[in-house]
Amino acid sequence: MADNKAQENWQPKIVAFVCNWCTYAGADLAGISRIQYPPNVRLVRLPCSGRVNPFYVVKALQEGADGVLVSGCHPGECHYITGNLSARRKFAMLKSFLSYLGIEPDRTIFTWVSASEGEKFAHVIRGVTEKIKALGPAKKLVKSYE
Amino acid sequence: MSIEKRLQEKAVELLSEKKVDVVVGYEAGTLPYQAAPCFIENPDDEGRLVLNPFCSVNLAKYVHDILMAHKASQKRMKPEQRTKKVVGVVARGCTTRSLVIHLQERQYERDQIFIIGVPCRGYVSKKKLAAAAGGKEITACAIINDRLSFTTPDGTKEIPLESVLAESCLSCRYNNPVISDVMVGDPAPPMKPDSEYADVDAFEAMSGEERWNYFAEEMKKCIRCYACRNTCPSCYCKVCFVEQSQPRWVGVSVDESDTQAFQIMRLFHMAGRCVDCGSCVDVCPMGVDLRKFLKKLDKDGYNLFAHRAGEKMEQQPPLSVHSMDDKDEFIYEP
Ligand code: SF4
Ligand code: SF4
Repeated sequence: MADNKAQENWQPKIVAFVCNWCTYAGADLAGISRIQYPPNVRLVRLPCSGRVNPFYVVKALQEGADGVLVSGCHPGECHYITGNLSARRKFAMLKSFLSYLGIEPDRTIFTWVSASEGEKFAHVIRGVTEKIKALGPAKKLVKSYE
Repeated sequence: MSIEKRLQEKAVELLSEKKVDVVVGYEAGTLPYQAAPCFIENPDDEGRLVLNPFCSVNLAKYVHDILMAHKASQKRMKPEQRTKKVVGVVARGCTTRSLVIHLQERQYERDQIFIIGVPCRGYVSKKKLAAAAGGKEITACAIINDRLSFTTPDGTKEIPLESVLAESCLSCRYNNPVISDVMVGDPAPPMKPDSEYADVDAFEAMSGEERWNYFAEEMKKCIRCYACRNTCPSCYCKVCFVEQSQPRWVGVSVDESDTQAFQIMRLFHMAGRCVDCGSCVDVCPMGVDLRKFLKKLDKDGYNLFAHRAGEKMEQQPPLSVHSMDDKDEFIYEP
């Protein structure tokens, strides 16, 4: 990670926590439709966006992610009926709190991508990668292993 | 009759009528400007109870501790031998709000507590008092109406009580109990709740870099003693994430990010659950400015979900409920 950041041609590392039923399937659809999107994102599949513990986001940032994306089903379409609605409340507060502490708002991004939105998935990843590239490597809250 | 005397009488009455098994209250501490929690089980001990502006700690924590210990002790009993324990607690506004949070989070039943509500006009911040005394040892301390006098080796000085009240108290919105089984004393006059977010507003106006630098500097002071967690009534998990080893959530290295991550998570666990009692700030040995961050969560809870922690029994904590119409401006490309 440290080497990566020292390099001229730095590429951001983005961790995406996605739900099994919508966004992961959407990513799958993007894949099988051969839609191109930047390779900077690492997907972590969870049952539901409601399963994403706010600490996962903090921990990812601490362990060197330059950006974190959380994505689930659109409101009203959650496989578990309301998991994404409780996620929405949690992340409304989390994003605001991290920004308040001075962590750039664009480092933590929340969105919805459904299973049929392969193109939207690719579009979101492009957009998020652009945003994080504009910010440059994360420096706050990052653990140094030197 | 002084409020202290009335409180003592109430305690005797409750204990002798066996309405409660123990009364959790305050007694004089070992230092002249301190009060400590005390647990009265014998009506003859009522004389120990005090109530004054040195009573700082939020007693809801002890109510929870006692009831959880009792619950654990009942587990191996035969059903017919099980007993019920009722805890009486001397509670001002913030304490009652913490009790409401416990009840909402189903920690114990309403009939396991007996709330002796008391009005509150704020407690003395030990850190402010120490600063007023220039760090000198205080050998005597007394409060007469709204003046506080203290004696150091340099002599006796008198200052306005308000100048040493805790920050949380100065802008407190609930200095009278929100629920009680019995009230002792007349309601206290309001504090200045309109300025409760002044500190947060000023911080928000700073740049992101400045805010992060402030946060990082504050957290450098933290020695990870966890006193803030131990005193907080809303921090009651049986195994706290800071001590979990599988997975190990937070590292314990000297790297600053470990302490920052610990603090972010402890603070964030308080979303919609912090009653701004100031206990954590009061016990922190390093003077970390925790309130600046806790108050932001409170402000967001109010602005986003019209919720104030522990204000009403009927209103569920904001992160326990949800609605289709919740605000979603923060969602990227919805
Ligand atoms: S976080 Fe601090 S101010 Fe808030 S409830 Fe806990 S001890 Fe009280
Ligand atoms: S009481 Fe203060 S020093 Fe101790 S862990 Fe909490 S913030 Fe850190």
